[in-house]
Amino acid sequence: MNIRRMLFFLLALLPISGLADEALLTELLARIRQTSQSQFRYEETRTLELATSPWHGQGYMLSGADGSLVKLQLKPTRLIMAIADQRMLYWDPQQNQRHSAALDSAGAAGEQIKVFRTILQGRTDELQTSYDIAAEKQGKQWTLRMTPKPELKADEIPAIEISGDDEDKQRRIIIKQADGESTEYRMQKATEAQQQEYSLQRLLLEASGE
Amino acid sequence: MSFVWRKRWFVLLLPLLAAITFWQIRVETDLNAFFTATDDEDSRLLSGLLKSGELSRRYLLVVEKVEPAAGVSSSPENQISVAGFGARLVNQLAKLDDVEQAWPADQPPRDWVDAVASYAPYHARLFSLNPEQDAQELFDTAQLAAKAEGLKQALLSPQGGFVKAIAKQDPLLLSLNGFKDLQGQFQQQAKLGSGGALILQSRPAALDSEAQTRLQAAIRASFDSLNAEAGGAFKLSMAGVPVFSVAAQSEISQDVTLVSVVSSLAVVLVFLFLFHSFSALHWVMMVQGASFVIGTLATALAFPQVHSLTLALGASLIGISSDYPMHVMVHCAKHRNTPLSAARLLWPSLLVGGLTTAIGYGALGLTGFPGFEQIAVFAFASVAASLGLTRWVLPALLANSQLHSAHLPGIAAWVDFCGRHRKILLGLFAVSVVLAGLCLPQIRWMDDMQKLAVDMDLLKQQDAAVRSHFSSIEPGRFVLIQADDWETALQRSEAAERRLKSLKQAGVISEYHGLFPWLVSEQLQTENAEVYQRELTPAFQQAWQAGLAKSGLSVDKLGTLLPVAPEPLQPAKVMDTPVRHILSGQIVTGQTGVMLSLWLGEHDPEKLIAGLAGLEGTRYFSQKDQLDQLAGKYRDRSLVMLAIGIGVMALFIWLQQRDLRKVFLTLLPSVASVLFIFATWALMGEEVSFLHVIGLLLSVSLCVDYGIFFIDNRGKDADVTYHAIASSTLTTIASFGALGLGKTPTLPILALSVSLGVTLGFLLCPLLIQKPKN
Repeated sequence: MNIRRMLFFLLALLPISGLADEALLTELLARIRQTSQSQFRYEETRTLELATSPWHGQGYMLSGADGSLVKLQLKPTRLIMAIADQRMLYWDPQQNQRHSAALDSAGAAGEQIKVFRTILQGRTDELQTSYDIAAEKQGKQWTLRMTPKPELKADEIPAIEISGDDEDKQRRIIIKQADGESTEYRMQKATEAQQQEYSLQRLLLEASGE
Repeated sequence: MSFVWRKRWFVLLLPLLAAITFWQIRVETDLNAFFTATDDEDSRLLSGLLKSGELSRRYLLVVEKVEPAAGVSSSPENQISVAGFGARLVNQLAKLDDVEQAWPADQPPRDWVDAVASYAPYHARLFSLNPEQDAQELFDTAQLAAKAEGLKQALLSPQGGFVKAIAKQDPLLLSLNGFKDLQGQFQQQAKLGSGGALILQSRPAALDSEAQTRLQAAIRASFDSLNAEAGGAFKLSMAGVPVFSVAAQSEISQDVTLVSVVSSLAVVLVFLFLFHSFSALHWVMMVQGASFVIGTLATALAFPQVHSLTLALGASLIGISSDYPMHVMVHCAKHRNTPLSAARLLWPSLLVGGLTTAIGYGALGLTGFPGFEQIAVFAFASVAASLGLTRWVLPALLANSQLHSAHLPGIAAWVDFCGRHRKILLGLFAVSVVLAGLCLPQIRWMDDMQKLAVDMDLLKQQDAAVRSHFSSIEPGRFVLIQADDWETALQRSEAAERRLKSLKQAGVISEYHGLFPWLVSEQLQTENAEVYQRELTPAFQQAWQAGLAKSGLSVDKLGTLLPVAPEPLQPAKVMDTPVRHILSGQIVTGQTGVMLSLWLGEHDPEKLIAGLAGLEGTRYFSQKDQLDQLAGKYRDRSLVMLAIGIGVMALFIWLQQRDLRKVFLTLLPSVASVLFIFATWALMGEEVSFLHVIGLLLSVSLCVDYGIFFIDNRGKDADVTYHAIASSTLTTIASFGALGLGKTPTLPILALSVSLGVTLGFLLCPLLIQKPKN
């Protein structure tokens, strides 16, 4: 096959390969779309620019159908970070520190948690307005790579990689900030017993101090 | 010029003048411009604060949930918290054109947070207002491990990005120590509300009621659209100076319309009652219209802007400027004279009468109220125009009109009664004068300028309800720092802040907003730097690095504590950054030097003043006290002007009459009526303000005309002259009486003073001045 015929062959196949990517993306986006209440157990690893070693934490993520989200950190210390009604709540009982801020004015932290909620609740439309998304599948393992659209403020919007398997029991989310810091979440669906233990509403009330 | 041409020129020129006036005039609706004098530094400061002060441009908004109506249940998707709704509303409001900034009251606006981060390089120069005192705690080696752990937690918190940017330049986060009080203010607010308290800073000045009305409508529209989406679950309340200014403006606009319409109608009805002639009415109304237009044009040429209140009060002059044509017409009708011969006959009296009126208004212009300067110019021009038109144009206009003067019942009888019982009545009058004189010391002067403002009790209640959701900073009272230069002003401000801090601890003041550490004097920066360098020993640095290592933080990136920034942070440099927006309300523009204001929360003024005693260039400033002082100053000036006005009128009458007895008799009815009115107010316990005095000054200037007409008696018929005076009195009462319908307290005060003065003066004329021989 001479080079010209080879090029022609590749060009003919290109639209088909594009269609295949599109179908995979639709399938994966549908997979992460979630409309009902859900709960995950998570392990978090944060790499901070000013820390010598990664920081580890673990706890539960609770996501509500109304868009609320609670991240209940149990280790190393108990604290709650949540989104409810366009506000970000933070409650550190050990330090007795409580913050509450409008999500849109909470800076990079607000942006990050907003994106995280979008992923967890599978708000794919919102994701597609901010990100160029690429889908990839190898065997049972799939990956969604999301890169901030160039026209958006890249310093506040992190790059994201979500991966999982066909059984959907485990999910891995890596959030990479423009400044080099990153956060990795390994998430597993909570068991029935674990789900009984925590209530999203109660945790939201605790976080808001009401 | 023939009568025909005079008439033609008048009819042609009047619309032309009206068009020029319309093209030339710029109407001002800012109440402040009308009421606040700017003849000393404090008055200018007050005027500036009312006009464009930062706090006075703020709206306080409160969103609250409403109880759902019985039987109505909102769907779960509509159930939004107050805080969530407030956040959405802030986003909407921030997009409005007239909004400079909108933010939830419990958290600083984003640009404030960014501004705080920009101070990190200067951390060693501004970490404390009392560096020596705070050094022990801030540089305690034993606390460094805990500080490193705190830094790590902060880096992991939602504020991690903000803290990281500061920590790279200021690992000990010393610069944030200076801003602790600012953080405290927002935390205190967070404790107060449920997130529904919002602050909106408007671009237009508080008293720009047109723009503020537009903005308030836009705020309500934004709220209504969001609330409709939320199923109508919320209600919005607003407070702030602009809310009052819009309400006051609306009341005043209604007053202006009401007064103008009723005053014109009343004058028309009186005129028709007196002369039964529509033809004469239409010509006299045109003469009055021309006087009004000329008055407005003169004011528009003399001042950059004409205040709407000038036009409203000017409208009441219609009644006065109709005095001259009416006087001519009464004589004309009663004596079957031609209008021209009546005008010629009465001209000397009309001229002196016009002059005394103009003097009265001239004196009014010198009382200190900027608005009254305009009214003086307006009155002078329109009285002159009315006089000129009465003398030279009116005879031409009335050439073909049939005039029938109505007989006013009781007029002749009162003149006869006064003539027959003169001795007894004069005796009673003398006793009354003595008694009135004895009553004068009991006069109560009004000291509170607020009593002259439009009564807005409902709005005040709403304001108090809204303010209860905010940690309160009072917009009208603050500590004022004055100095010739920035450095001295900042040193004084820092000294005052130290005192305020102690007063806050002592419970004298709930909170205050100072300038530290946004602006720091070079002296304090040096003091901070010296303490920093002294405390930054090798042992301290090692302890810090050990703490970092223990917390798992990078010693390489955070272990080196940077030396002091070589140059101090200059105020000029700070004011070139967005910080100037944060401080714009606290840097007061004075004519000379630097003026800084430290905002105050709830406080006890007396203890606060005592607490600040001895601080140079520092004083407590209260807008209300300042306004009250102005009220007192205006009152004194108006009393002086009343006396000067009467003196100048006497001089002019003497120049015409060359007879001191006649001068005395001419002035006596009006001066006596002023005395009696003052005495009545004293007995009734009425609080007398400068406006009462100004009203009496006007009544004197009008009443003196009656004395002049009565004593001159140019028509040689005292009954006709008194009839003519009665007609003038009726129109004056009709036009000024209409002011009494206004809700703005200033208008009824003027109505009462002028109407009472004119009526009493009219009644006293035949009693005090012997009936002239026919």
